[in-house]
Parts: sequence; C-alpha cells; structure tokens
Amino acid sequence: MLVAGVMSTGVLTGVAGLGVASSSAAGRIESPPALAARTISLNETGHLHRTSSSGLKLNEQGSASGTIKGTIYIHLDVVSPNRVTAEVNIYLNGGSLTGSGSASYRVNGGTASFSGTMSISRGSGSYAHAHGSGLSFSGTIQRLSGSVSVHLSGSMST
Amino acid sequence: MSLSSKIRAIAAALLVCCCLPATAGATQTVTLHTSFSPNKLGASTTIGFGFQIANVGGGLPSPMTGLSLRLPVGIDYVTTTLGLSICQPADLLAHGLAGCPPNSRLGFGSALVEVPFGTGSGHEIPEIQALMGPSHNGNIVVLFYANGLSPVYAQIIFQGELVSGSEDLGGSLNAAIPLIPSVTNGPPVSIIETQATIGPSHLTYYTHRHGKKVAFHPKGVSEPLSCPRGGFVFTANFTFLDGTSAVAKSVVPCPPPLRRR
Repeated sequence: MLVAGVMSTGVLTGVAGLGVASSSAAGRIESPPALAARTISLNETGHLHRTSSSGLKLNEQGSASGTIKGTIYIHLDVVSPNRVTAEVNIYLNGGSLTGSGSASYRVNGGTASFSGTMSISRGSGSYAHAHGSGLSFSGTIQRLSGSVSVHLSGSMST
Repeated sequence: MSLSSKIRAIAAALLVCCCLPATAGATQTVTLHTSFSPNKLGASTTIGFGFQIANVGGGLPSPMTGLSLRLPVGIDYVTTTLGLSICQPADLLAHGLAGCPPNSRLGFGSALVEVPFGTGSGHEIPEIQALMGPSHNGNIVVLFYANGLSPVYAQIIFQGELVSGSEDLGGSLNAAIPLIPSVTNGPPVSIIETQATIGPSHLTYYTHRHGKKVAFHPKGVSEPLSCPRGGFVFTANFTFLDGTSAVAKSVVPCPPPLRRR
C-alpha cells in the first residue's frame, strides 16, 4: 500500500497518489512542528467483518492499513436500494479519525459495491484537528458472509 | 364565475365526456393481494403478491403492458442473500431455467391467461420463475421467465427493475410486460390472474465449504422493523394495451405484538 505522506505545512497540497513521490523527494518523512497544520495523503484499505445489522444499518469492524494503521469501524446505512451513507471511525496510535460520506450502492450477484465521497469531520489525540473533504470512498460487500473491503483515498489536514 | 369561465368549464366537460367512451368501454379493474410469510417484524420473509384483472364491461380484459408495484417503506433489501448469482437473459432464453444458476432464483409463480378465441375459463401458465438479472443503472433487476404450454406455447422473458423511492425507501418494482401471442401472428392473450412470490420459501441455494457443495436456504428480504398504523401498504399501477390504467392497493396487517412473559 501507499505509505505515508506528510506533504506540506500549513498548505493543503496533497492528493491521493502523490504521497510517495513527495515523501521520496523530501528524502524522509519529517514530523511537523507542533501545532502546525499538515496535510496527509491517505490511501487506506480496510478489511472488515459484520458485527451486527439492524434493519438497513450494517455495522462492520476490521483493520485498516496503508498510510495509517489501526482499527476501522464502518456504519453503513442503506438509505435507498441504490444509495448508502457511511460513518467511518479509525482508531490508531495516538488518536482517532471520524468521517462520513455518501455513496452509490449496487448489487451484482454475490457482491454489492459502493462508491462515493467522504469527508473527515473530526478526530482526537494527534488528529484532533483533522479535517478533509472529497475523499474517494469505495468498497465491496460479500453478501453471503457480510465481509467488506473498503478503500479510502484523498488528503486531509491535521 | 364569469361567462368566459363558464364557457371554458362547459367546453372542458364536453371534452371529457367525448373522451370517456374511448376508454370507459375497456376499463379494467384490478384486485391486488399481498402477503409477508412469515409476517414478523424484522424477520426474513417471503413476499407474496397476486392480482386479478377484470373488464368492467364483462369481456376479456385488455392485455397488460406494464406493472409498477410499490413496496412498503422499510423493507430491508440489504442483508438478504437472495440473488447471489446472476442469470443472463440470453442463457435463460436459450436453455430455460436450466441455463441459470440455482443461486439466481428469487421466487416463482403462475398465471392464468385467456386467449381471444378461448372459452372464457382461462389457461394456466404454470411456471413463472423470478431470477436475479444483471443490474441496470445500479438497480436490482428481476427477470421473469414464463413458460407457456398449450394453447399458449411461449417462453417469455421480461424484467422488472427495483427503483428507489423519491423520499423514502419504499422502492417500486417496475416492469414492462411484453404482449404474449396467442398463436403465431395472432392477437395477444389477456392476463386474468397472477400469483407469485419473491423470497426464500421453497428455494435452495448452494455454496462450497471445505471443498464440498453445501445446500442452504437463502435469507430473504426482511420485513420492516416497525409497522405503520393500518399495516403495510402495497400499491400497484397497471397499464393496458388499450391505453387505460388501473391502480390497486393491498394492505398486509401488522403482526400481532409479541407476548411478554
């Protein structure tokens, strides 16, 4: 997976896919000064399993890997036969991230897929000031087992 | 009311009166029946629906050309394991039901049709299968396969598309119904009655576990978690070859409340 990308300080410049190049150009990934805003290019993959469902809401839990690693929770709410909204929580070392998004949803035999955008609205700990919008958010649900793979990419500021 | 308004009103009334006979003579009435089996809040269920069509004038009803069945709000289409495989229409047409994987089956039913030269007692199309088709515009597609026998020798495939509601989850299943020829180049038959189910009842699916083929019963759509006052309302809009349409409504009563010990 794509690795980290602390890309700039104070200015939002990062986009998904540029994280490696920018980090390589810098030669190393440096920790920014305390309290300074930084932009992180996220490229996350999560593998989750269903923990519960209630009506049209699916609760999934699993592990996220990529730019950051941690435990990921997704609450999918199927608001129409072809639209879902999602709340995503990622718990990682030193903090957490919370985002929400909306995606189209389609069933195709044994799988269902969703694709849309997500915003990161808040965080905690080291990510207390996290925010970002327009992140790409997609995934596939295995309908028989309920397992989900999800992909999240884009940039956020902290 | 001013004179010009009165003239406009009279003209409009005359226009309506002149138009009425063109459709009134061929007006159809439809009775809709629906069910949840089991009827239990939040539980996997099989949806049953059927309709009977009659001509107000007493003759044969006009052939049906379209159906839009609006489903109650809150049905869970998400956790169902119905339709784990896709049936390709070309395979269905070429090989019948055998051309499609068992895991694409969604339900089945039958229909009673009448040919224009018939006795009036109707002829049964004993086999109607509902299968999961390739999605269209992101919507779930239900393929209907009707296998007609004497005197209506026809294998007919048509599809319904599950379309989301505008303000809620009360999606609707919309289908354009092809005309069913009575004989080659003959007039189409009229559908008198149809019964069908969508759900796991009497369906067997297969999966592979540890290299073995294992049969299981799929999970159906789930009945809503709560029941609105008055019950679960289904409505259906039917269109006919003569240009008329009819609306029918059916209510599945709320299940009795669970007794607490």
